[in-house]
Amino acid sequence: MAEPKVENSTSPVGESKIRIDAREKVTGAAIYADDIQFGNSLLHARIKRSPHPHALIKKINSEKALALPGVKAIVTGQDFPGYIGLYLKDRFFFCRDRVRYVGDPVAGVVAVSEEIAEKALGLIEVEYEILEPVLDPEYGARPEAPLLHPDLGKYAVASFIFPQPGTNISNHFKIRKGDVNGAWEKCTAIVEHKYRIPHIQHVPIEPHIAIAKVDEAGEITLWGSSQSPFAQRNLIAQSLGISPGKMRVIAPYVGGGFGCKAGVSMESLAVAIAMKVKGRPVKLLLTREEEFFTAFVRQGLTAYFKMGCDENGRLLAMENTFYWDGGAYTEYGVNITRAAGYSSSGPYEVPNVKTDSYCVYTNHPVGGAMRGFGMPEIHAGLEQCIDELALRIGMDAVEFRKLNCLKTGSTLVTGSRMHATGLSQCIEKTAEAIGWGKKAPPSAPNKRRGKGMALMWKAPAMPPNAGSSAWVELAEDGTLNVGVGGQEIGQGVFTVAAQMAAAALGVAYESVRIAAPIDTRYSPYEWQTVASRLTWSMGNAIVNAAKDARKQILDIVAEAWDETPDDLNIVNGVVISYKSEKEIPLKNLVIYGLPKPGDQGWRGGPIIGRGSFMPTYVTGLDAETGQGERAVVHYTTGAQAVELEVDLDTGRIEIIKGVSTFDIGKAINPELVEAQMEGGFVQGMSSALFESLQLKDGVLRNPSFVDYRIATSSDIPKDLQSYIVEVPQDDGPWGARGIGEHSMVPTIPAIANAIYDAVGVRLEGPPFTAEKVYLAMLDAGIVK
Amino acid sequence: MILDTHPALPEFEYIRPANLAEASDFLAQHPDTARPFLGGTDVFVRMRDGFMKPEFLVDVKNLDGTNELRFDSRTGLTVGAAVNMNRVIASPDVQAHYPLLAEACRSVASYQLRTRATIVGNLCNASPAGDTIGACLVFGGVLHLHGVSGPRQEPLSGFFRGPGKTTLKPGDIVTAIHFPIPPNGCVGKYIKLGRNQLSDLSIVGVTALGHKDSTCSSGYRFRLALASVAPVPLMPAEVETYLANNPLTPDAINEAARLASQACSPIDDVRGGARYRRQMVRNLSVKALTEVWKKLD
Repeated sequence: MAEPKVENSTSPVGESKIRIDAREKVTGAAIYADDIQFGNSLLHARIKRSPHPHALIKKINSEKALALPGVKAIVTGQDFPGYIGLYLKDRFFFCRDRVRYVGDPVAGVVAVSEEIAEKALGLIEVEYEILEPVLDPEYGARPEAPLLHPDLGKYAVASFIFPQPGTNISNHFKIRKGDVNGAWEKCTAIVEHKYRIPHIQHVPIEPHIAIAKVDEAGEITLWGSSQSPFAQRNLIAQSLGISPGKMRVIAPYVGGGFGCKAGVSMESLAVAIAMKVKGRPVKLLLTREEEFFTAFVRQGLTAYFKMGCDENGRLLAMENTFYWDGGAYTEYGVNITRAAGYSSSGPYEVPNVKTDSYCVYTNHPVGGAMRGFGMPEIHAGLEQCIDELALRIGMDAVEFRKLNCLKTGSTLVTGSRMHATGLSQCIEKTAEAIGWGKKAPPSAPNKRRGKGMALMWKAPAMPPNAGSSAWVELAEDGTLNVGVGGQEIGQGVFTVAAQMAAAALGVAYESVRIAAPIDTRYSPYEWQTVASRLTWSMGNAIVNAAKDARKQILDIVAEAWDETPDDLNIVNGVVISYKSEKEIPLKNLVIYGLPKPGDQGWRGGPIIGRGSFMPTYVTGLDAETGQGERAVVHYTTGAQAVELEVDLDTGRIEIIKGVSTFDIGKAINPELVEAQMEGGFVQGMSSALFESLQLKDGVLRNPSFVDYRIATSSDIPKDLQSYIVEVPQDDGPWGARGIGEHSMVPTIPAIANAIYDAVGVRLEGPPFTAEKVYLAMLDAGIVK
Repeated sequence: MILDTHPALPEFEYIRPANLAEASDFLAQHPDTARPFLGGTDVFVRMRDGFMKPEFLVDVKNLDGTNELRFDSRTGLTVGAAVNMNRVIASPDVQAHYPLLAEACRSVASYQLRTRATIVGNLCNASPAGDTIGACLVFGGVLHLHGVSGPRQEPLSGFFRGPGKTTLKPGDIVTAIHFPIPPNGCVGKYIKLGRNQLSDLSIVGVTALGHKDSTCSSGYRFRLALASVAPVPLMPAEVETYLANNPLTPDAINEAARLASQACSPIDDVRGGARYRRQMVRNLSVKALTEVWKKLD
């Protein structure tokens, strides 16, 4: 998409405008789902959950619970036979015959108060037959492992996902590029490593919440904290066997999502329960413990890497095997394992690649989307191997990366060509800012200092035809109302949407409003607020809508002034003619049109512009080779480096400095881009140093912030630098592509490489806790 | 381990006695069902998580002077049971004479929680991880108690019986902790090892207090207290004895730290492993003792 024709100097694109939602959020006026009042008719739901990782349900007796005064209804899996899932329909609303993780919903209670609902849970008797659980994905992939989904072969599945019925493998993505076996003998250096990435949680400050109401006619309204109102409308309705048109989702501001509020999770439970108490709104609000036990987790991963290069340091081959701990249901997770497969080379040009990415059912919490969508997990090991290979061949790690990284036109692991990219510039800028090659003395005798770098790439992982739409309309005062279906989850997308609409139409940023909250009845369609795709995809829809409105306006004025639209422009809310130097404010014409001279009627009318965008060029990949013409829409690339100190007395890591540089095509709002880079760095650092769901025999041992530690402001390095590279995307608005997730992708390996630089140890996986670092140093004889 | 995904505060009756005598009587009459509480920062969390279900919570704040923080240059410091940690930190008397106590308080949780949390509550909670317990031990704290037979005093050193267990009997309320005037020129240090910088529980905590003492052969006397490495907060006497009787050198400090490490009996839990904890007792004892020694000379 070419740059829209906007010649005025007040275009807000590229300026760090103040967030459009700043005032209401800072003053506390912003409305979140739990702020919505439903009056006395509101009922409260609670969920009875499985205490076992794997068991058959023999009997559920809810008579006693139902008899409790105040209990309105009890719902079990028998009431809802429909499957649900985004890419693979493998789960029921409530378990029907089998439970597959600790926390799996078995029954739902709705009552007049939370206390009564809570009490009723204790009165529901469930008889289980305990089965052997699968607690490791590598074991789960083997034929002797107990089968968790005997019906896998019957599940509906997206065309690009390849389940293996009769096994626990719900997707097997393969890359077969070149001749890997033949390449090893040409390699001068080869490294092989195994890495394990633990499950982590998203821990948004706002827990999941859903309020559902079903009216007498069966029309469903769902209010919730959601990244995916439209996907929820479609998936829940499908599963219930009703028309998506009968389902309405209203989604106010989201207090953090990071992926866990994408797709459908607990919302379906609230809807199912509400169907039993028609006319009454039913609220389901997860406790923090439920968040830890039952919200989507970032999948665990066991990864094997093998890679080799020639004597000049040129990468010749990679052989990567990923066993993803997909958890009890992999309806969303299967696509993470696909994304990991088609990105399995990392941002490098490698002629021979063999990858097997297995999504494996286990009796662990359900894996789902999380910031990075598989990329932080695979880059964690891959970028450590790159460092090690550079070391083996005697090359500087930065030079090695510069030599092998993707450049414009490089051949990708899927066989297609890399679009224009500024990855090399990202490496150079990051190396310069971190002072690569210079070693500063540690701050104390018991400390060791090190630096590390890592690169990344990531494409929006989504169906090939994920679409966006938008509308714009103008009010009597010339202000612009912009309808979007993408969600403001804190990332600033409403601000960026307003900037793009203002620039594309020719009005001031300050005169734009976003039509919120998102309401599937009134808001234009958006696939999901995921994949860092909104600035690009929704941005294109907004630009198209604004251009549509602009054309309508200029046509009317051109006709009225007897000029051609080419001579006209809209600048700061005023239509001007470069030819006649006439001008007219938008407010004078956007509702009532313009009178014809001599009281001879009117022309024009209310202006409303519509626009949509959908990529049409993404092709399938061969199921056996993973090769194809164009696997994805584009890749955002970037680099991160850290400088840290390791305390030899305790093993504690202190990050002294962090540098991030990403090629995002065009920064629509540079300050928001930097905020994403900083936030991603901190979340990446937190996952590298502290975070892990400690699962033992399928039971989570740390379901609270007491023992699930996340970085606080005190853990953030004082020196955090962010740099923007802008090599435009051919079909991005003003050349933009996404940044939201990418910023946490390279942080784990950058830190791991710096730890190695400081003390010479490598760990099997994060979190690099003081304990693990210290004991590794002790075992290596570095400390005594 | 928490398995309940819907934890909630159970119902209880809130008892507000008029004075200590009334409080002691009530607690003695309900030995299994009533529990005293101060700031509630531990009690409410543990009740919500289902670890305790008292029928009655007896609020013993503000009874008969428990809200007082008093310093007397002759007898020492008395911290009332209801005095919150931020008040201790801000007290000029504490800063002047017991800075180690303020240092320990500062390491507890967050500022907000410290406006509720109390030192006496930290002691009565009797967690081996209690951050202020070490400072109270090395300062020779004496508990002021009120029981059914009236007030009495007990040294803190014998107070702890196990995780969450103390010598308190039904009806007993700790009304204050008293500290004698600390040894002249003493220096203290608390090193807390948490998983991240702020507001964590300690994996290991090491408290050291030292002063010059011409009556012992090394010329120095040290006290060391260890958190999170045994069923109770530990004050290994062998460390004190060793450092009192051997010339103070870096090697002597290493040996004392080895003794400290030997004295503890850490466990593997969700916060850290026994092997690491033992190593950390040694390393952090060296660090704390050395830092105190350097400041003494």
